[in-house]
Amino acid sequence: MSEPQSSLLLKKQLAELNKNPVEGFSAGLIDDNDIYRWEVLIIGPPDTLYEGGFFKAHLYFPKEYPLRPPRMKFVTEIWHPNIEKNGDVCISILHEPGDDKWGYEKASERWLPVHTVETILISVISMLADPNDESPANVDAAKEWRERYSDFKKKVARCVRKKRMARVIFGV
Amino acid sequence: MADDAASSSTCTGNLVDNSINQDELIMKQQREIEKEISESIPLVGEIEPLSSLEKEYNEDPIYLLKVKDLSAKYKHIRRTRPDGNCFFRAFSYAYLEHLLTDRQEYEKFYEIAKNSKDILVALGFPQFTVEDFYETFMEVVLRVGDKAGDSSVSLDGIRNELHDKFNKQGYSDYIVVYLRLITSGQLQTQHDFYQNFIEGMRTVTDFCRQEVEPMYKESDHIHIIALSNALNVCVRVKYMDRGEGSQVIAHDFPEGSKPLVHLLYRPGHYDILYA
Repeated sequence: MSEPQSSLLLKKQLAELNKNPVEGFSAGLIDDNDIYRWEVLIIGPPDTLYEGGFFKAHLYFPKEYPLRPPRMKFVTEIWHPNIEKNGDVCISILHEPGDDKWGYEKASERWLPVHTVETILISVISMLADPNDESPANVDAAKEWRERYSDFKKKVARCVRKKRMARVIFGV
Repeated sequence: MADDAASSSTCTGNLVDNSINQDELIMKQQREIEKEISESIPLVGEIEPLSSLEKEYNEDPIYLLKVKDLSAKYKHIRRTRPDGNCFFRAFSYAYLEHLLTDRQEYEKFYEIAKNSKDILVALGFPQFTVEDFYETFMEVVLRVGDKAGDSSVSLDGIRNELHDKFNKQGYSDYIVVYLRLITSGQLQTQHDFYQNFIEGMRTVTDFCRQEVEPMYKESDHIHIIALSNALNVCVRVKYMDRGEGSQVIAHDFPEGSKPLVHLLYRPGHYDILYA
């Protein structure tokens, strides 16, 4: 076994996702020579403010995957209480147990070695549909979501529209 | 903030902007300690005479008495890396090593191991990853099976191979992950029974997600009970601590059968014992 387990497992997942795509997102590599860096395109979930948008994000897997989680970062501009302004996704399943920087130890689900790209993205898509404003990564977005919902809606709509136009015009 | 955080599932990013995040510093230090441990202690060590424990406790009369008691029954010890996975690693190493000399037990274990994946998938674990861990686990089990109980060949080669695999992070950690899954599967299948052992308001499933399935989470009695039941293997754990008396107390899981795996527990850590 000269090739690391992590690389084999990621290759298998990529092949599987290409063969049997999962509704709601598509996945590929940023650079075909680097299995540890993925690019995913998330379709804004229906019946949410993000519907109609296409959001590009990157996943960075450590060599210790699946024992340790990947990091995820949106490349497309997105306004959401649980996504930092620089795009970093803050969701509990991408943090290891004991990784308590964010102070959400007990009740929520943490990283487990059984998670796959698919289960990660299902969680992220459900986070888009259902933001958690109790421990926001983007405090301004969270405040707006709570207190000035119509402003929040407008801002999200702008991201969605911008993305849709770019898609039409530039095909990205 | 702490109250808020308890039920949340995301992270508080820039609430504490600008100030240095204390928790982050603690985590950094923890990572450094982990790194130091992983560079200085192998995942599973070589077999050592029990007297190496005496040296460790040279100036500690309580422990020295207990080591003496221990040495009446055990002659050797094999240490494992204290990384929170030590119970699973010690158990699997000692058990597979035992199977090399016990064909009948191997056959019994093989059937249980072979069926374990379907049980996990039926419980709702993602097939994709479970299969990956299962395959690596079975690869090692089958290597043991090739030689198990064969008295016509020397077992040195396979023993070395086993030792080598347990010290390769890829194999070794995959075995730990898979045993954690089997343990979780057992807890969830028999959740009515195990619920009684779980403190607080947690369900068995919560407990599994938080304390059993994640790597590096330490094992307690409940983990040992569940794993020994799932695999139908008796484990004897010798508990050596600072408590009164000169004897090292033994606990068998489950009680009443013949232990095939002998472990030494010192607060927070498990190693393997040999008669």
